[in-house]
Amino acid sequence: MLVTLLKMAWRNLFRRRLRTVLTLAGVSVAVAALCSLLSFQQGYQNGMKGELERLGAHVLVVPKGCPYDAASIALHGASWPCYLKEAYLTQVKRTEGVQTAAPVLMNANYTESGEAIVTLGVTPEILAVKKNWLIAGAFPTSNGEVLVGSAFAKKHNLVIGQTFDLPGSAGISLKVCGTLAPTQGADDTYLHLTLADAQRLMKRPGELTHILVRLSDPNEMEGVVGALRACEAGMEMNIVPLSHLFNTIQELVNSMRLLLGSVALIALFVAGAAVSNTVMMAVSERVREIGVLRAVGASKGDVFALILLETLMLCLIAGVIGCLASAVFAPFIEFWLRNRLPFSPTDTLVKPSLTLSLFCLLLTGIFGAIAGMLPSWRAAKLVPALSMK
Amino acid sequence: MKSVDNVVLRAESLTKIYRRGVEEVRALDGVTFSIEEGEFVSIVGQSGSGKTTLLNLIGCMDTPTSGTIEIDGHETSRLSDRQSTRLRSEKIGFVFQHFGLIPTLSVEENIMLPTLFARRAAKGKASELLEQVGLSHRHKHRPHELSGGEMQRVAIARALINSPALLLADEPTGNLDSTNGEAILRLFTDLNRAGLTIIVVTHNPALADAAHRQLNLQDGHLLLESQL
Repeated sequence: MLVTLLKMAWRNLFRRRLRTVLTLAGVSVAVAALCSLLSFQQGYQNGMKGELERLGAHVLVVPKGCPYDAASIALHGASWPCYLKEAYLTQVKRTEGVQTAAPVLMNANYTESGEAIVTLGVTPEILAVKKNWLIAGAFPTSNGEVLVGSAFAKKHNLVIGQTFDLPGSAGISLKVCGTLAPTQGADDTYLHLTLADAQRLMKRPGELTHILVRLSDPNEMEGVVGALRACEAGMEMNIVPLSHLFNTIQELVNSMRLLLGSVALIALFVAGAAVSNTVMMAVSERVREIGVLRAVGASKGDVFALILLETLMLCLIAGVIGCLASAVFAPFIEFWLRNRLPFSPTDTLVKPSLTLSLFCLLLTGIFGAIAGMLPSWRAAKLVPALSMK
Repeated sequence: MKSVDNVVLRAESLTKIYRRGVEEVRALDGVTFSIEEGEFVSIVGQSGSGKTTLLNLIGCMDTPTSGTIEIDGHETSRLSDRQSTRLRSEKIGFVFQHFGLIPTLSVEENIMLPTLFARRAAKGKASELLEQVGLSHRHKHRPHELSGGEMQRVAIARALINSPALLLADEPTGNLDSTNGEAILRLFTDLNRAGLTIIVVTHNPALADAAHRQLNLQDGHLLLESQL
């Protein structure tokens, strides 16, 4: 029975091809918008979490100024507009609840081709923060030694023991003492020197750009942040708890998501109304045919099921097209979003997945069922004798 | 329960009133008659005399304003929609002037359509009926690929698939040329000889005369019954 009903519903859909195609297009666009939005939401959240986890710190200590700008620079690598005094490090380390405080001096130079060469001056304490690092070779211990990120090493064909000129900085030669295994984060593109060497090369003696802090107990975040702010150098530093940063950025992005979500929801409602209207028109055109079906033994339920099946089929086909379109256009949407977001992680922002697509299909099915209720009900309640006239 | 006197259909004081705003149209007015099993009855009358209304009431496609219809022992005006659908599916076969074939289904699928709603499997029966109406070679064709006569034969096969007690035909030759009209007449006569009860609404004198009995309607009243 179901197979024949499906066959009938399928063939009925294509009796008015142009109308069906236009309706399919409308619903597909709405589903694609919804699917892209959900993919973005998931991709962004995962990307942010991953980025903060890779940073390894619970708290970021940065110079006075906008903490979000500072966090963005620390996460993605760039030159800093202001600096911390290295002397503050001692106070941070002494604060109760601080397990590790890893000082960093970051700088970015640009090659003629526009490539950003990000160098970081670090101490071995960073190894206690970056627990995901896998180093082949050795950590830099003396001037001129460099630990190279995997992507940088690959791009410049560097191997351990090799000496190379630092691109974008004339006259600086460095020797690769070790390479980092891929971290899937910004570290893959960085060059790590000893802190002293970096301060010398960047002409920033006694200065840092930020301090990565790990706590003995992350649950004691509020207390430790309070203590850091209350220390002697507290007025000169911005103490940024990364979980708060994550939440704040999420809130900033939420407003954009809300706007896009509203558009997608409105599009779905409009598409639902269009589907309802299309099927209603199809029912009006087939009143006599419905009368025939009733005459040959179809119950009200059979007629209701047939029309509902047509609607569901229409919506599900549109759903599949929408999900596929969302996957195909994901890179373009990502590009568009990345240029408009206040902060975006390095990971893929719009990440379509099978689970999300199935969820969107389910939602489309529910919408389709709701949209199909009215025409199905109207078809089912046609009086057989009157519909045959 | 089936009547003991072999009456397959009994209509008693059948009245159907349609309302158009304040206007009242009495499509049928106190019609009483009965039809025995195996009879071939034609309903004749001018347009608007109530023939199709009567056929719709007999076929449980509509309900009378007053009066009763009993089909094979079932009083139809007391049936729920579900019950009348079941009765229609099991006891009645319909043939229409406009054929009423579903354009998206093949000949075979059209014939099997009633079995779909009756939740029966009848592939073998469909083949038999296709052979009986001489359309075995056309079973995969769609209705638009058939002639009018062929479409009506498919419609008759569809009406017979659930082995109904009653075959109701509304102007079955109305859209056909004389040759195809005669073929349908012969088919009806053969079916009736095989024991099927047939009620046919027609303007076609040859078809009306082929029946055992004529019910003549005028302005919703049954004027006379003529035994042929």
